[in-house]
Order: sequence, then C-alpha cells, then structure tokens
Amino acid sequence: MAVLLMLLNRNALTGLILAALLLPALAGAQERVVVSKEVAVGSSSEASLRLEFSSGAPLEIAFDDGTVTIDGDAVGSFDRGGAAYAAWRNLLSEAIALENGPLSEMLVAWSPPEGLEGSARDVLETIDEALERSLRPAVEVDAPSVSVSVGSGGESRLLQALLGQVGRLSVLEEALADAGGAVQLHIQEDVEVQEGETVHGTLVVIQADARIRGTVDGDVVVVDGSLQLLPGSRVLGEVRLADADVVRNEGAVDGTVVDMTQGERDLEAEIRARLRDELRSELRDEIRQTEHRSSGGGFNPFRRIFGAVGGIVENLVKILILGLIGMGIIAFAPDNLDIVAETARRAPGRAAAVGVAGAFLLVPVWILGAVALAVSIVGIPVMIAWLPLFPLAAIVAGLLGYLAVARNVGEWLADSGYRYTEWIRKSNSVYTVFGGLIGLMSFFIVGHALSVVPLVGFVKGLLAFAGTLASLAALAVGFGAVLLTRGGRRREYFPESFDEAWERAVDVEIDVDDVDIEMDEEQPDESPDGDRDQGGENDD
Amino acid sequence: MTDGVGRVILAAAVLLVLPFGVGAQSWRTVTMSRQLSGEDDLRVSVSYGAGHFSVQPADRGVLYRMQLRYDEEVFEPRAEYEGNRLELGVENVGRSIRIRKNRSRGEMDLRLSREVPMDLDLEFGAVRAELDLGGLSMTGLSLSTGASESTVDISEPNPVRMRTASFEVGAADFTVRHLGNLNARRIEVDAGVGDITLWFNGAWEQEAGVAIDMGLGALELRFPEGLGVRLNKDSFLTSLDSEGMVKHGDAYYSLDWETADRRITIDLNAAFGSVRVVWVR
Repeated sequence: MAVLLMLLNRNALTGLILAALLLPALAGAQERVVVSKEVAVGSSSEASLRLEFSSGAPLEIAFDDGTVTIDGDAVGSFDRGGAAYAAWRNLLSEAIALENGPLSEMLVAWSPPEGLEGSARDVLETIDEALERSLRPAVEVDAPSVSVSVGSGGESRLLQALLGQVGRLSVLEEALADAGGAVQLHIQEDVEVQEGETVHGTLVVIQADARIRGTVDGDVVVVDGSLQLLPGSRVLGEVRLADADVVRNEGAVDGTVVDMTQGERDLEAEIRARLRDELRSELRDEIRQTEHRSSGGGFNPFRRIFGAVGGIVENLVKILILGLIGMGIIAFAPDNLDIVAETARRAPGRAAAVGVAGAFLLVPVWILGAVALAVSIVGIPVMIAWLPLFPLAAIVAGLLGYLAVARNVGEWLADSGYRYTEWIRKSNSVYTVFGGLIGLMSFFIVGHALSVVPLVGFVKGLLAFAGTLASLAALAVGFGAVLLTRGGRRREYFPESFDEAWERAVDVEIDVDDVDIEMDEEQPDESPDGDRDQGGENDD
Repeated sequence: MTDGVGRVILAAAVLLVLPFGVGAQSWRTVTMSRQLSGEDDLRVSVSYGAGHFSVQPADRGVLYRMQLRYDEEVFEPRAEYEGNRLELGVENVGRSIRIRKNRSRGEMDLRLSREVPMDLDLEFGAVRAELDLGGLSMTGLSLSTGASESTVDISEPNPVRMRTASFEVGAADFTVRHLGNLNARRIEVDAGVGDITLWFNGAWEQEAGVAIDMGLGALELRFPEGLGVRLNKDSFLTSLDSEGMVKHGDAYYSLDWETADRRITIDLNAAFGSVRVVWVR
C-alpha cells in the first residue's frame, strides 16, 4: 500500500497521529470485499443480483417486470426472450457458484456479449459500468494516494480539532468509500480551486470552507464547513456533505449532492415527534381525568344504577336461557335428569370428587383419544369427528349436571319455607329448576343490587365470591353425577323403597304395621306359580 | 412427549387443510451467501415449513450459503444477520400452505461454516430432510420437526464440546446416525408418533447421558460393539427386544459394560410402542 502523507507546516509527530486516525477509514475504502451475495430468479421475468460490501452501500441490479434497475433507479427495459435478459441470466448462473474474490473478479471482467446493439447493449453497458464502479476497489491492488493538508494554528489546537473529529470518522469513511485515485484532505484550512485549475481525485475539507472556480474530477466531501460552487466550476463526481452547506452559484455537479447526516437528522426528528406525541397523549389523558374528577366522576349515582340494573338483567337472562335448556331436558330426557339429580342429592361428596377429577382429565383424554385415532387410516375420519364432538359432549354433560343440581336446590327452597319461595311447586320440575337457578344466581343478583349503594364494594365482592363458589360446586357435583350415572342412564341409587318415596312425596310418616288387614285364614299362600286373579277374588 | 403430541395434532391440522389449496404456484429461486468476517461465535436459527430440506458444511471462508426454491405467493426468504444472531429460512406471508402430490415442491439447501462455533437451532415441518452436520462446530443443537421423513448424520466429529443436543420429533420417520460424533454430554430425544432409529456409532469423546421420551411408535437403538450401554426403562404397554443386554436390578447392561472404554446411560420413557436393540459390528 502506497500512502503519501504530505504534511504542511507540521512536524512528524502530528503526521503520525493523523495517519493513525485516518488510515483505518481510508483502508476501509480500499478493501471493499463482497461479504454477502443474493441471487434471485423468479418464474416470471425476474432475475436480480444484490451484493453487500464490507463498507459502503450495497449494489442491487434487478431485471423485473420488463424494467432494469440499479439500486432502485430504472436504467432501461428488457424483453423476457431478449438478448439482454439472456446475457444477464448467464452472468447470474456463473455468479451463483462463486464467492468473494473470484466473484468480484468475474463480475469486473464481465462485459456485454459481442454483437449486441441498440437498447440491449446500452443496458448491459450500464450494468457493466455499475459493476466495475462498485467492485473495482476490491480487485485493485494500488491504493489511492492521500494528500493531507492542515491549516495554521498551534500544535495543541490542531490536535484538539483533530480529536474532535474522531466521532465523524464513520462519516468520513462512508464519504471516502468510493474514492478512487488520489485524495486531498484539508483540515481547518480553507481551499480555493482557481479557474482553469483541475483537482484530480477526491477533495475532502474538514472544518473549513471550499471555494471552487475550476474543476474537481472526483468527489467533493465537506465536513463542518461550506462549499461554494462559483460560476464556471464543475464537480464531475458527487458532493457529499456532513454538517455543511453548499452554495451552487451557477456551478455544475455531474453527480448527486448527498447529505451524509440526513439520516441522523431524520432520526432525531422522528424521536422528537414521538416524544411530542407521547407527551401530548399523556397530558391529554391527565386533563381528561382531571375534568372527570372535577365533574363528579368519583360518585355518579346514575352510572351505578345503570350498572346495577345491567348486571341484574344479565343474570336474569342467564337464568332464562338455562331454564329454557332445563325445560328442554325435562321434556325430552326427564328420566336422565331424575337419575342425575338423585345421585347428586344422595352422594354430593362422591359426585363432586368425580366431577373435579373428570374436569382435570377432560383435556388429556381428548388429546390422547385423538392421538390414538390418528395412528390408523380407519381412525382418522373418527378423529375428525372426535375433535369437535368430545368438547361438545363435555359441555352438554356440564349443563345437565348443573341443571340437575339446580333442581335439587329448587326442591330444597320449596321445602325451606323462606319468604318468596311459595311459588316453587315441588311437584313440577320446571318450577324447581327455575327456583334453583334463581337460588344459585341470587348471590350475583343481590351483589349487583347492592352496588347501587356507595361504599359496599367489599360486600359485593364477598357475594360474588360466594356465588362463584356455589356455581363451581354445583358444576362439580352435577358433572360428577353425570359421569357416575353415565349421563343419567345408569341408576346409582334408584330405586328407592316405596316407603321412602312416599314419605318424601307427602312428608308424613306412615307405619305400615299399624294398618290392620284382615286376612282369610283359609286363603292359600301366594306362590310364584299362584293364580293372581284367584287371590284378587279372595281380597274382594 | 407433550410437545410430540402437539406436533402430531399440528401435522393432522396441516393434512386437513391441504386439499383446500387452490391457485397457481409461482416459484422463485434465491441463492444467498455471506462471507466470514471474524465471528467468534454464532446463534443460528433455521426454520423451514414444507419441501425438501438439506444441510451440509460450507466451503472455507463462507459463513453460510442458502439456496431456496419456494412459492413466492406463500413464502418469503428470511436471512437476517445481526450481532451474533443468524436467522435463516422461509416464513409464511399469510396465505395457506399448498402441497400437492405430483407437483414440484420447495427446496432449501443450506451450507453452514465449519469455522465458527455455533449454537444451532433447526426447526422444520412437513419436509423430507437430509442433514449432514459432520464437522460443524456446534456448542448446542436443538432440532425439532413435525411430520417429516428426516435423516440426520453427524458424519464427522464435532470439534467443540456440546452441553446438550435435543431432538424433538412429531410424527416422523426419523433417523440419526453417528450420535457419538456430536461430542455432547447429554442427548435428549422427545418423539411423538413414528419410527425412530438412533445410531449410537461415532467417536464418543466423553461419557454421555441420553434421555429418550417416546410416544406411539417403534424405536430402534443401534449400538456399535465396544460401547458400554446401560438402559433404564420406564415404559407402559411397550415391548422391548433387548438383544445383547443383561438385566441387573431395574436396568439393562451391555455385556461389556464393566470393561468398555466409553459408556453411555440411556433413560428410556416409552408408551404404546416397541423398542428394539440392535448391535452393529
């Protein structure tokens, strides 16, 4: 690497420091290796190449939908069956197999096929130039020469200024990424390119101003300064600015003018806008809450009344829906309801234990059943039915059990003699089911009714807790009873004795021994083979 | 085993929606590669949904090279490299997956560097996978697959020590060869439904523990002669053909357990399946 440091007005120590600070940036510009490659070919007319380098902007060349783009800028058009597209696909097919150095060399050495003319050749030549411009530093052995010039001032001031620019080295590195040929670097020293004078290579000015009347045949980079392009001046490359201004006073720039710190400024503006929005939102919320409090939002009786009425109506609707389902069960499966209810009444502890265990086992049984069915071809259709029907069956079982327990609660309320329970007719299951549902939901209803009164939130919470416990207990007991009775099809505790049923129905005690039945002593004993009609005649 | 069951359900769900895929497919081929740039270590995550999936070591100087063929209306490639994290594969762009018989399928051919120690996380779904992880420097390995036909070969020893290598398999035909080359202290296999074949050959650098959790299916354990094996079995409705092993207490031992240079202990938890032990010369 041949680096020429021309230090004007300064000693060797300063030169070494300058070199140490600036060489990494310059070296980065020279070693532009390909670190990442992406080749994409679509079934439509898409064929693209994207290269990322160790420094600097990536290169992307794409043939897509009839248009050729380089880094997103359209540079021409193509036909899917045309020569340009075929040549590009051939190049990509070679590029797929190569990496880094060999890839760069192949792409730089590539040129449009002979015999092409017209727009196809123009497009491919544009691509060739783009490839060479991007990759040439990676294959060139000679590094650009660097001329460093510093302005007047004390040694300490120079070092201070230089160290102050260390944070900008990344910008400087980016600005010099594509620098080919010579680089003239001026720090704290104004530069003037006279009319008729030509600067070869890249001109870099840091903390100083540049006045150009002549020509720069490379890029101009200005950091923390200003650039004046006076009449007759011309920059053949790009103008890159970092914290700098440009005055185009009839000067010409062949390339583009790039603000290197625009991204930072955009980011700052975005952060500022986001902070402003967040602050505005917080202030707005605070003002709204303050207005709410000042307008009596802490205690609003109408809101409480509406809330309480809404809660009560919600529970009444639940009772109505569940009651209608209960009526359906009473109409179509009265025996099942009877058996489940009787089991829940006689063995609530056992039913609750089975119900809780069954609830925990529901999901594992569902999954294991599906897995067991999935392993065979025959089982897969059954599994398709199993997946939705099993949860549905579990819901139906829970409903049946809950309603059976509600019926028991309704019967208990009918026997209790409490006020407002006289309407529950024990002989009619519809009444007992509705009565039981109201009983189970009464905790919630009373809780909502009490919420109208201020400062009773704790009581409402207690009632809601009690109601939840009651509902869960009813569900567990009912679900367990359903499981024990196989859905009300197996009599766990039926039939009860005739005496017990009679006593429960009329709630009186009858001693059958007290009934005096006169029997004819000559009446023959009734045997299994005996004639019942004959016995009947004797009774008569 | 719960994960395995989950994968079975996922696979069943995928199979259920397959017939509903309609419309033309638009195939795109992408080749992506990146050069090594002084990485010390790397966490690599690879995800791939459906098609043919292969992994091999890359050439020198290359960090990764990925060649993808995919339906661009359904998937998009994913290659994110930031810090010490590398994420590769394809991701769904919102429409249903379409897989049909007698139609060309997607492909993913991935080459990974041997030169960078990496914690490798591979996740793939309904694929036919051929993975050769031989020679890769793996500090960790986590492989999970759904309904696949997969073969994993660690054809060359892992040059760095690995704490745990885990394989989670849903409903799959799954074969792993040269488990000894993993250089892992612990190997975990969690399988749901399928035929699993584990080859315990390779260069065992250290004594290792192997935990196998097996659901429905057949498990074949292939041991090289000379490897000391202790097998602790905890099973339910599972048959065991323990050829070449003797039972002492609750465990099965290879005949040369006492004298073997390298020993491994296998904790087997299986249900509803069969386990077969095969000794290979």
